[in-house]
Amino acid sequence: MAALRRLRGSNNEGVLALVLLGLIVAMSIANPTFFTLNTGFSILRSAIVPVIFALGVLIVVITGGIDVSFAAIAIFAGYATVSFCLNAGFDPGLPGIFAIAIGVGASLGFVNGIVIAQFSLPTLIVTLGTQGVFFGAMYTYVGASYYAELPGSMAALATSNLLDVTTSSGRAYLHLLVVPVLLLCLLVAWVLKRTMFGRSLYAMGGDLEAARRAGFQVKRTQVSVYMLVGALAAIAGVIHIVLSRSANPRDLVGGELDIIAAVVLGGASIFGGRGSVVGTVLGVLLVQVIKNSLLLVGVPSAWLRTAVGVLLVLGVGIQAIAARRDSRRMRVIEDLDSAQQHEQKVGS
Amino acid sequence: MSPDTKVRNEVSQTNANSLRQFNHQLGSWTRQFVRRPGANRGAGRMVVALLLAVTLFAILNPRVFLSPINLQNIAVAAPEIGIIAIAMMVVMLTGGIDLSLVAIANFSAITISTLHTAIATTDPDLANNLGVVIVLAGIAVGMLGGAFNGFLVSVVGITPILATLATMQIYNGIAIVWTGGSTLYGAPAMLGAIGQAAVANVPLLFIIFLVVAVLVAILVNRTALGRMIQLEGANPVAAQYSAIPRRAVLLKTYTVGGLLAGLAGVLFLARNPTASADYGSSYVLLVIVIAVLGGTNPTGGFASVFGVVLATLTLQVVSSGFTAIRLSSYEYAIAQGVILITVMIFDSVSSSRTKRPKKLDPQLPSEASPTEAALLRP
Repeated sequence: MAALRRLRGSNNEGVLALVLLGLIVAMSIANPTFFTLNTGFSILRSAIVPVIFALGVLIVVITGGIDVSFAAIAIFAGYATVSFCLNAGFDPGLPGIFAIAIGVGASLGFVNGIVIAQFSLPTLIVTLGTQGVFFGAMYTYVGASYYAELPGSMAALATSNLLDVTTSSGRAYLHLLVVPVLLLCLLVAWVLKRTMFGRSLYAMGGDLEAARRAGFQVKRTQVSVYMLVGALAAIAGVIHIVLSRSANPRDLVGGELDIIAAVVLGGASIFGGRGSVVGTVLGVLLVQVIKNSLLLVGVPSAWLRTAVGVLLVLGVGIQAIAARRDSRRMRVIEDLDSAQQHEQKVGS
Repeated sequence: MSPDTKVRNEVSQTNANSLRQFNHQLGSWTRQFVRRPGANRGAGRMVVALLLAVTLFAILNPRVFLSPINLQNIAVAAPEIGIIAIAMMVVMLTGGIDLSLVAIANFSAITISTLHTAIATTDPDLANNLGVVIVLAGIAVGMLGGAFNGFLVSVVGITPILATLATMQIYNGIAIVWTGGSTLYGAPAMLGAIGQAAVANVPLLFIIFLVVAVLVAILVNRTALGRMIQLEGANPVAAQYSAIPRRAVLLKTYTVGGLLAGLAGVLFLARNPTASADYGSSYVLLVIVIAVLGGTNPTGGFASVFGVVLATLTLQVVSSGFTAIRLSSYEYAIAQGVILITVMIFDSVSSSRTKRPKKLDPQLPSEASPTEAALLRP
């Protein structure tokens, strides 16, 4: 029983994995072309950017906040870096490009963090506002043109593959960028589980006031959380530009809600204090697999939005009903305890 | 009563008493004025903001901004956004949020357009005669959409932001499938007539907007349901102990939100006889901005319809003013965000300033802090 519970995971990761596995099996039976290396690799490739975004959103959601400006930060940082490199006519190499983008992203995140922490404002509304500001600022001050050419180092990265397998159904490529994403996942998981910073995020999500009284520097942590999200978003922005082999300022913005949906499906509580990297990755993969399989089964792509919405209602609805049943059970125990205490008092 | 007043004679004592009473009265007046709930402050603030915005753009470019056509444009464009913002305000009163309002409005517009076209292909006269029925059907669809939101929030117990995020995707997705991603043309002739009509140079649409605003204000401030909605948002624990039927209230709130969104969908068609799934996608952010600017407390409990109406007009004035002085829509997006955050910061600073004296005065009943409220929760 204990082993079963551990398999289920603290945030129902096991259940999610089971759903994902079931979906893959069902899809493979329904359409044999689904179960190929090609499909697998392309799903992984399409999950690269959402996973990085989702890691950022996970961090914010654990602290009990929500960030809807990350897509604007991502495209701002990525696009500004590319346009700076192209206009200045020099190529700082991949580390340089990522460093510039992360710097831009972190400073935009700093704006979010300082406004939220300093004035303790609702995170959703602040980030809705900054989303408009960042997006508008990019168009007004950075530019609005589409770059089909990338700096040399980024263009080279776009075509480098980690694995290049020839299968019966053609060649399958696994993109090199899967590796840094995996490392990023491990890093975030390590930070969340094993460092004081990570534990303080859970503490803040559980109860902000309690965390403050326990001695956590709540405001400073909040600012660093939003800077971290900005930095992660910037990495995702650069990777998105690399993968699409062009810098289009219209990309990414508008897809925020899909990422938040995936993170919530992955077991993170929107009230904070709960969530894990494993669950988040599984949530993103589930959404990507469903997107991919709908097309293969022959459902028009127009149904995608509805499918994600229905998935979110089901996932969150089941969680809500389960949580309510849990809280009811706890109340019974509390009632029992208080009844016993009452009896003791009467007895003495 | 200080001891030395007892020593004085009766006349001066009554004088002192009346003076004290007067002083007390004055004190409570000023306190009321300073500590007004956010809602009233929002309305007062928006009057100033609206006047400022109008004067600013009237000075910067009087020829374009003050032209009758521009003013009429503001009055025609404001109602649809304003009604969705009022719907958002009603939902925010309970401490929730409804991201699906714009999707519902589009859904309602698409329903009306499709029904009209379907009937008009066989019998155009019949379609125009049935105009009222078709429009009511569209509003009913909006109500249904809102009721489903309410069901998810109240019965299933999903957090409003997630529930309406999901339904936004669902309604929008169905609308995309239904229209095939294209724009539908055709609406009952009646709606076109309403869109064009004006009473004493005031567009009829704007009058409808004001009527809706008054009706919602009556609903919120003068009916039992409105009181329950406010209490539910102000203090859910107290609401529960006051035997307020939480589920029914939330269900009705979101249904009213859906009804208003459906009405906004009708106005979409009245302004322009086309309907599409992705119309007004920028409104989702805009209506939240308007509701918060109008003095709505995003955590629930306080809101003012009048403030929301004024905020709608202010943002429309800023939007058309930006066009008049040739700034792009992206600069307007920046302005929107900056205004929103500035107002929120201003609110937070001034509310923490007015709260501070409370701590010094132990006699005033202190409000339960969120942590205490959590402890009280059964």
